[in-house]
Parts: sequence; structure tokens; C-alpha cells
Amino acid sequence: MAENKELTQKQQEPLVYDPQYILMVRNLKKYFPIKGGMVSHVVGHVKAVDGVTFNLKRGTTMGLVGESGCGKTTTGRTILRLAGEKTGGDVLFNGKEVYELTNKEMRTLRTKMQIIFQDPFSSLSPRLPVGEIIGEAVREHGLVPKAEFDDYIDKVMDNCGLQPFHKDRYPHEFSGGQRQRICIARALALNPEFIVCDEPVSALDVSIQAQIINLLNELQEEHKLTYLFISHDLSVVEHISDTVGVMYLGNLVEYGETVDIFKNPLHPYTKALFSAIPIPDPKAKMNRIVLEGSIPSPANPPQGCKFHTRCAQCMERCKTEAPVQKEVEPGHFVVCHLYDE
Amino acid sequence: MKDLKPLEQDVQESKIAAAGGQEEEFSLNDDRRVKVLSPNAMVLQRFFRNRLAVLGLIMLLVMFVFSFIGGVISPYREDEQFYRYEDQMKEYVGVVRNNDFRYTVADGQKFDTIMQAEFQLAVNEERDNFDHKGTTYDVMKEGEDYYSISANGTMLAIAAKDIVNVEGAEIPFDVKYEALKAYTNEVESFAVNGKEYGVDEDGNILDGETVLGYISRFVVSSASADVVPGRVFKEELEIAIDNDEEEFTFTGEDGVENSYKISYDPTTLTWSVKQGKETYVYDSYANPGKEHWLGTDSNGMDMLTRLMYGGRVSLIIGFIVVIIETVLGVILGGLAGYFGKWVDMLIMRVVDIFYCIPSLPLIIILGAAMDAAKVDPMIRMFYLMLILGFLGWPAIARLVRGQILSLREQEFMAATEACGIRVSRRIFKHLIPNVIPQLIVTCTMSLGSTIIMEATLSFLGMGVKFPFASWGNIINDVNSAYVMTHYWFVWIPAGICLLIAVLGFNFVGDGLRDAFDPKMKR
Repeated sequence: MAENKELTQKQQEPLVYDPQYILMVRNLKKYFPIKGGMVSHVVGHVKAVDGVTFNLKRGTTMGLVGESGCGKTTTGRTILRLAGEKTGGDVLFNGKEVYELTNKEMRTLRTKMQIIFQDPFSSLSPRLPVGEIIGEAVREHGLVPKAEFDDYIDKVMDNCGLQPFHKDRYPHEFSGGQRQRICIARALALNPEFIVCDEPVSALDVSIQAQIINLLNELQEEHKLTYLFISHDLSVVEHISDTVGVMYLGNLVEYGETVDIFKNPLHPYTKALFSAIPIPDPKAKMNRIVLEGSIPSPANPPQGCKFHTRCAQCMERCKTEAPVQKEVEPGHFVVCHLYDE
Repeated sequence: MKDLKPLEQDVQESKIAAAGGQEEEFSLNDDRRVKVLSPNAMVLQRFFRNRLAVLGLIMLLVMFVFSFIGGVISPYREDEQFYRYEDQMKEYVGVVRNNDFRYTVADGQKFDTIMQAEFQLAVNEERDNFDHKGTTYDVMKEGEDYYSISANGTMLAIAAKDIVNVEGAEIPFDVKYEALKAYTNEVESFAVNGKEYGVDEDGNILDGETVLGYISRFVVSSASADVVPGRVFKEELEIAIDNDEEEFTFTGEDGVENSYKISYDPTTLTWSVKQGKETYVYDSYANPGKEHWLGTDSNGMDMLTRLMYGGRVSLIIGFIVVIIETVLGVILGGLAGYFGKWVDMLIMRVVDIFYCIPSLPLIIILGAAMDAAKVDPMIRMFYLMLILGFLGWPAIARLVRGQILSLREQEFMAATEACGIRVSRRIFKHLIPNVIPQLIVTCTMSLGSTIIMEATLSFLGMGVKFPFASWGNIINDVNSAYVMTHYWFVWIPAGICLLIAVLGFNFVGDGLRDAFDPKMKR
């Protein structure tokens, strides 16, 4: 893993494709312009994603955690090229730069990378029957011969725990859990390799959450899927993920194997975040680290390390110099001055 | 709400079933499974539960049947005019009793106005001569109000209050002189140049059996150029006047008996005679009856038939205008909403400009221009539709743009993008169907207002023109308070038709809006 020592990213060497990784993201940035003033002009940027770097192995699940507004969802969408043009960085999917593809190539690639949305209510078109929602893209891309189309949709629905006769029904006739299954079926019908799960269970109640998580796990084993699992629910992430990334204000502050991260969090923010996980033992004493203040505005992030305003171990250096990603243990990366040699 | 009970039960069943419950009783594959309702079917169901909306629908159906089928059934044509016979009193002749001297000048002589004045003076002073320019003229009384004027034994002229009316060839001066003399002195015959003439008591001058002319004190002048009162008529008229009769009948040479009314005007000393004549006129403002159920209008056309055809025109114009509006509005609003940025900016500024156009004055000016250019009524109707449609699209464009802007941010649109669905399909399969509910509601409402607009313009004479009927130009017949108060059938039925159609569209529009709104629970 190349460490980003230089601050001028434009002169970086091209990202080298490593076939074990389905997705390689380096220094991804996505800014949204803020317009204002008498004559509408750009007065600043919301730095929703401000330098995210990670690699994702085939057939694994990466959890992406962080508090609300830290840029998790934007990261997921930017990887899929759903949020317009990126501001900077590289996204290599199967060795191809996603943002350099033509529209036609991109449409073909769409079948390989899918997304499951957070809200199962607004992510289904209310005027189409379920069968059409699931099968539309399959037909559009001609993935299945016409004769086998109906059987194929039945099979996909069955896989996702839906009854095939639900095909003719409309989304408003389904419960939240069923709707989420429809979303999963829609994503799965295209036979993708990689799915961004954008908080797929946060809108569901706990019993249904477990159903959906188990379904995702089963499907992963069956289809050798790779997930980017975005969630703010740490216990769900611990359960499903192989690796975990922790985001704070558009930055990936820590990234590594799930076991490492949960057992041995390094970054002060990760420590604070994980201290909030309740321990199901009445005798255990919670040692909570309470962060002071609120998350700074992503439009005007602090100088230096973005976390320094709330960090208990803040040093003078943190206020001026932004830390870079370092591999502290094998496969465990952190962005913090505390771990500088 | 009793009828809702079974349905609610069904919904609950389906919910139990849908939740994945494995109850055998409500097995999902069972035939008892609730029928699948598409969103459109649900909208219809909700719509038909709304009484007002159903009433509106019935009103519209009635109007459509009335307009489109009524015109076929009606035995009359749209512009068929009806006639009737009517007795019309028409000014026929005026009669004056002559009280001035009329002069008849002998052949080759002169008797100018100054001499006439001198003569008048002499008569008034009962002199038997007068002087003029050194010549003495002798005035000789020949009879009652009858004088002859001569100078040096030569007869210059005669002056009489009775008038010799010539029939056929001109009567020589001598004969006139003698005839008047005989008539005033009540002598029955006279001789001129050895030829015998006769004068009867009616004043006819006879040459043997032929009538040369007649003498009368009445001057009959015809009221219009085409009236030539005959001799017999004049005589009868004189008798009637002499007898102070007010009415008399006369059978003309063509054998048609006409009645005449005589009225005397003492200020001008004239009698005016009016002829009562049966004339063939437009059967205008006929009262409702067997033949014309709703009477006739000012042009004598069947009102009911006009209403039917008028409804056809009004409804067709309404629909075409709304179609034009909608097509333009959806395309432009859709472009603005979907592509945003400068496209949106440009189209919305155009919309703003259209909102600044005062439509009524513009249409009136264009209407006047079309009047001046004498545009064919049919073509004019098309222009009217184009103008109204072209002025109406901005409202729909705004609506569509707003809807698309909000829909574009919905996650299912992101999902279509993530699935690699092509743009055209995204627009037509995902965006447009979600805009259609609002669009249908707006279009239904604007149908009503378009019909009103068309009626207003036609009423002002700027819209649909004769011979085409429209509810507006039917009401246009009411151009005075007299028509309004006396011929209710001219404007009340058309007003009711307009009311029913517009109210129907508004009820249906309201019903659709409620039905499309899933939060409306009825």
C-alpha cells in the first residue's frame, strides 16, 4: 500500500491494479458547492468526502461507520458514480477507473456494481409492479433470454424471500422488510459483483434487521458478493464485516480488520465511538469516552487534523498539520499523529 | 361507511398474509387472496367513492351526450334558419290636401315666381289686375279657387288649388284650362277646338270613353320609390279620407287584398297611409314550442340545435387547447426539470415572460386583426385554439418542472441510474407516470377555465364566429335589456350548459385530486 506522503496529489503515480482487490479507492474527494451572495456564485464547498483511501478484497464485506453527516453515504454513491462528477482521487473497479468510462461503458458496468438504499419506501417507484421493478434493468441490459425471463425473476424473488406471485403487486402493498427485500432482489437480479449497502437495515425494526442481515450473508456466500456496508450501527457492522473503516468529517480515520478495529481501536475518535457500544453484562463497567462539542461544519473543517477540536489527546502539531494514513499493524491503517514514529 | 367493512377486512387479511404469516386459512396462494389493485385502480376506486366527483362525471357525460350525440339526432342543421309570415305595417303613401295655388303656364309663356307673388297679393286684396315691370296683368276669377292670368288679352297661366293629374299623354294647356273651369263650375262637359270633352263628378277628364287625367285636390306621394299608387287606389283613398275613415282595404291589380291604416297629423296637415303586408321574415325569438323546444335565436335558428353544436365546439376547443397546453408544458417543463442548469434557467425565464403577457387584451387585439383580415370562421377557430394553447402552457410547465425536480431527488430515480436504465426510459417510465396524477388534475381544472375563456371571447365577438355556434356567442345574442328580460330562452339554457360543463370539470378535477392523494382516506 502506497502511503500518500506527498501533499500534491496530482503528481501521484497512477494507482496500480491489484487483482485481489475488486475496488481500490485512493484519496477520493467529493465537494458540493455552496452558492450564495447577491449574484449566485460559489462561496464555498461542503467537503462531504475529503480524501478517502481504502482497498476492498473480493468476496469480503467492508463496514463503513461514523456519525451522521460524516460522508458515509456520499462515499458509497461517489464510488458508484451516482453523485455527479468526483472532485478528486481515483476509483478503480476491477482495475478500471470508473470516472473515465463513457456513458455506454458505464451502463454496462452498472450491472456489476449495485446499491441498496437506506429508505425502502422512497427507493421503489410507486407506479410500477414489483416484477417490473426487479426485472426492468435485467431486460434493459438483456442479461437473460426472453423465454427464461419470468423464471429468472421468480428465482431471484425466491432467493430474496419473496413469493413469486408478488410480482404483480405494487410497492405500497408491502411492509418495510418486504420492500427492502425487493430492493435487494432488484440489485441481485443484475448478478452484480459488488453491492453498496447504504444503511439497508436502519429503517427496519430489529427482528426484520436480523432477517435482512442473514439474507445478505446467505447471498454473499451463494454469489461470492462483495459488500460495502454503510451503517452507523456498530454491532451490525461488527457482525457482518470483515474489515471496517471509520469516517469522521469526510476522512477515513481508521481502517482495518474488524477484529483489530474492535479489539484494538487506535484513533482517538474510534476509541470514543466504540466506547459507546453497550456491553450486555450488568457487572461490566462502561468506560465511556464522551466527546465534547459537536461535529464541525464540513463546509469549514478545522485546520490540521479535523478531529483536533474534540480530541482528548490533541497535540500542538495536530492543529496545523494534517496527518496522513499510516499502516500501524499489517492491514490496519490509521490517520493520526499519535502513531508517527 | 358500512360498505367499506368487507374491504377493510380484506386489507387486514392481506396484511397478515403479506407479513409472511403462514396461517393456512389466509394462505397467499388461496383463491381468497385479495385482488391486486394497481395504483390506478385504487385511484379509480377512491374516485368513485366520492359522490361529488361522480356527480361531476355524470354532468360531464350528460354534456357530452347532449353535444356530440344531440347534434346527430337533432332534425335541424347548425345554421338552418327558420322563417315565418308576419303582418308588417309599412309606410306606404303620404297624402296632402293642397291649399296653395298651383300654376300651369301656357305654352311659350313665362310666369315666374315674382309674378306669382304679385298674383297672390292681387287675389288676397281681391283686385282684378296687378302690375309688374310696367305691364298690367289681368286676373280673372274662373271659379272657386281658380284664376286665369292674362296680359293684353293673351292667357299666360292658370292658378288653381285643384290639380290636374295626367294619365298617359300630356294634356294640352287649353284642355286643362277648360277642364278645370268645367270642374270648378260643376259643368259636365266642355269643348276645346271643336272637340267635346267630359268631366265627371270624380274629376275625371274624359275624351269620349278614354280618361285623359283627373282633377283632385289631394297630393298623393309614395313613401318609397317602389310604391306607385294607382288611380283607383287614390280615389278610394280620397273617399276614405273624406269619410274620416281610419282603415280601408283595397284590392290591387294583382288581386292581393291589403289593409291600410290612415292617420292624420294635424300639425303638418297630412295623412300618412300605412300598408299592412304579410312578409316572409326570419322566425327570430320564437317562443319555445313543439317545433323549437327552446325557441329560436335572433337569426331564426333553432336554439336547442345551436346549443348542441355550441357544446361540441366549446368542448372540442377546450380539449384541443388543453392538449396543446399540456404537450408544450410537459415537454418544456420536463426539459427544464430534468436537465436543470441553463436549460431550466432559460425555460423558466420564458415562462416568466409569458406570465407577464396580459392575455385578454392580446387575444382581443388578435381577434380584431383577424376581423380585419376577414379570416374564415373555421380557420379562425383553429387560430383561437393555437393562441389559447400557446398562452396557457407556462402554468403546466411550472407544475411539471416542480414535480420533476422533486422526483429527481427521490431514491428510486437514483436506483434507476444505478441500474443503468437509459435516460429516455427513466423519463417516460419513471418520471412522467409520477407527474401524471397532478397533470390530470390540472388539465381537468384548466378544461373548465378554457371553456369559460372561450365563452368570454365568443361573447365579446372575438372567439368563435357565425355560422359556428358556441355557448359564448349564443349568449352574445343578448345585446339589450329587452332581449334579456323578454327572451329568457336565449341566454338561460346556454348559461346552464356552461355552468354544468365547467362545474362538472371542476368536480371531477377535485375528485381526481383527492383520489390521487394517498393520504385522503375516504
